Amino acid sequence: MNALSVARLRTMSIALSAWSALLGACGEQRDYRPQVRGGDAQRGQIALLRHDCGVCHAIPGIIGAHGRVGPSLASYGRFPHLAGKFPNDPELLVRWLTDAPSMAVATAMPALDLDEQEARDMAAYLYSLE
Amino acid sequence: MRHAPIPHRRKVLLLGLGAVALVLLGAGAGAALLLSGAYSTAATKQHFAITYRVLETGLRYSLESNAEEIEVPDLSRVAKIEVGHACYRRYCVQCHGAPGVARDPIGRGQLPSPSRLEQSAREWPPSHLFYVTQKGVRMTGMPAWEYRISQEGLWSTVAFLKRMPFMTQAEYAAMGARSDDIACPAPSGGHPYSVERARTMFQQYSCHNCHRIDGVVGPETYIGPALHEWPARAYIAGVVPNTRANLARWIADPQVFSPTTLMPDMDVVDEHAQHMARYLFEQQ
Repeated sequence: MNALSVARLRTMSIALSAWSALLGACGEQRDYRPQVRGGDAQRGQIALLRHDCGVCHAIPGIIGAHGRVGPSLASYGRFPHLAGKFPNDPELLVRWLTDAPSMAVATAMPALDLDEQEARDMAAYLYSLE
Repeated sequence: MRHAPIPHRRKVLLLGLGAVALVLLGAGAGAALLLSGAYSTAATKQHFAITYRVLETGLRYSLESNAEEIEVPDLSRVAKIEVGHACYRRYCVQCHGAPGVARDPIGRGQLPSPSRLEQSAREWPPSHLFYVTQKGVRMTGMPAWEYRISQEGLWSTVAFLKRMPFMTQAEYAAMGARSDDIACPAPSGGHPYSVERARTMFQQYSCHNCHRIDGVVGPETYIGPALHEWPARAYIAGVVPNTRANLARWIADPQVFSPTTLMPDMDVVDEHAQHMARYLFEQQ
């Protein structure tokens, strides 16, 4: 009886994961994926690490990025909003990464010492997170 | 010649296996129907007659059992028809219509289609009308109103409903002129905190449409940030220090703290904002 219920549970979990895989496959059809002009996600990954973004943000794929001062950036490519204030548009994000206080006076996000290319690369990496 | 009897334990095992096979078969057929896309979600495709009747019957029995414990107050004392009419005009007529008044387009294209209330209001006891108005009806589009309308307001709505079937078009219009400047009263709170109620609030204020919240079932949404492990956050929306008092105020009126925030003011009753803030701070 015990062996039976184990087998049954296993069958159920296999069926469930097959199901979610199928559902996931359908969910892939998206009409919009943000693209950053001239941004390179791989370089962005390194830039995010170098500028210690993980002190405040949890960022998948960045070593040690478990910060909780700011929001987690997991699945960032699917966020419709930027900082809860703006549409999450690539050019706005590039500006936000460089100089957030110029866009929102009271924000806890500091201005970062980045050149434009680094900001573009970082944005490209963040948008690659789904 | 008789077969040897099957031992009892094997019989149980066989029955069990049969049941499991049946369940798996059913689940498989359901999955196939769903994943093939053959099940239409279009609101233009009416239910099968049998489905319609089954759902209707289910509603009737659910009402009978759930409304049983509701104590109906003396409506002539507690309820005010004019207040009920104000609530009806604010929240109900859009989908249900009124004597001589058509429902708005929003009430026309739904499946199931919202009922005209003349019949149910005449035939249903006040406790049933109250329960349906207070709690809504799941999977029909009928919202729960208990987080929008006070208890007195709900009973007033019931009193108005009991009157409505006997009104002419002229009487309904005349009542509208009288209750024009009466507001439908919002709930005033006065309930003790409970985890269960707090969870309901997140749903009733649609928080879970934008935020993923532990303990609240909802869509895989990225509109606003997920609220997991809330007490560990330093800031609310990146602008205010994350204390319970600040959070309650933020929930009630986010645009006071941050005029540019995309989070709207959801008309959250203060006590409800405090309960939701407490829930987020007390979760493990």
